[in-house]
Amino acid sequence: MEGFAAQKLSEFETGKISRRRLIESLTLAATTLYSADAAKAQADQTLKAQLINHISYTCPNFKPAADWYSMVFNLDQIGATKRDVALPFGKKGDEPYNVTAKDVPLSHLIIRTPDANAPPPARPKPASQAVIDHFALTVADFNRDRARAELTALGVKNIRDGGLRSLHMDDVNGYDVQICGLENNALTDG
Amino acid sequence: MERFIADLVKNFESGKVDRREFCKTVALAATVYAAGDAANAQATRGFKVLGVNHISYTCPDYTRARDFQINVFGLENTPGHDTGKRANLMFGPEPGKGGSFIVTRNADATPNNRPPAQAYIDHYCYTLSNWDEARVRAAIKAKGQEISGGRDGSLHVLDPFNYDIQFASIVEENAFKR
Repeated sequence: MEGFAAQKLSEFETGKISRRRLIESLTLAATTLYSADAAKAQADQTLKAQLINHISYTCPNFKPAADWYSMVFNLDQIGATKRDVALPFGKKGDEPYNVTAKDVPLSHLIIRTPDANAPPPARPKPASQAVIDHFALTVADFNRDRARAELTALGVKNIRDGGLRSLHMDDVNGYDVQICGLENNALTDG
Repeated sequence: MERFIADLVKNFESGKVDRREFCKTVALAATVYAAGDAANAQATRGFKVLGVNHISYTCPDYTRARDFQINVFGLENTPGHDTGKRANLMFGPEPGKGGSFIVTRNADATPNNRPPAQAYIDHYCYTLSNWDEARVRAAIKAKGQEISGGRDGSLHVLDPFNYDIQFASIVEENAFKR
């Protein structure tokens, strides 16, 4: 930009362009440069969620809840502490289904119990007016009748239809969990 | 099939399923078997989870939550599914190929007869690819949002209804690195 301005100024000084032309040229150049920077900055401001990393599930006792999710959804429990445990949707080294980026980990549940002895936070979170009323998991080869039979055999409570393509159930804490296949998606749900 | 029935009997004996459920399940299993799907009846014991299908988010005004998700995290409003009461916001792989969505919806005025659950989802977390700390923080600021917590590589924001949403890199949020 600096070189361009010097060149235009020189042209003006030598009478090659008028004062008006000088101003127009520099204005156009400066605004174009600004626009390019702005566009670049705008692009940089675009964040793109790739996948759910984890869902944080809080309940009075994390162990029976984790055992329930392990039993029903065939999930391993890893990294257990006194208060929580992670249940990844696959084995170590697996990649998330149909995700091409190499820096996206398997989604997982974190099932936790609040720490009753934790000191109050320095900056308490304001109360939320929103709630996650249920979440749904996609499973391979979903067949509603077969899934209902499996869930019933596992002793799962309150199994009910969720439209044509899914089932809802209550987990061990009475939380609403949905199960479905790939055919239940943003284009078909609701 | 034998193992399936054996497990079912065990659950009946231990009281996990009652007589009605037991009979219904046996009948269903027999139907599946008769349909020539015997292999599935046995082999699909336990589900193979592919991912989170969707998260259902209820709030006083779904449009504010919808706009926040689109503006901040780049979710896409599914055409034809914004009903005036809810919207399906897509992200990740294509719908039907493993993609997920957030349903933002207004609270239903109809009374819910379900007993209250003893559990709740206190937050959820997105993975962002190509994490660049400075760029991510600048982007959040540029969108008029404030980082509400977290650490480098794993940050939180509060949405318009003060719901806690985390967003993170693979380095900081990975179940196998706990």
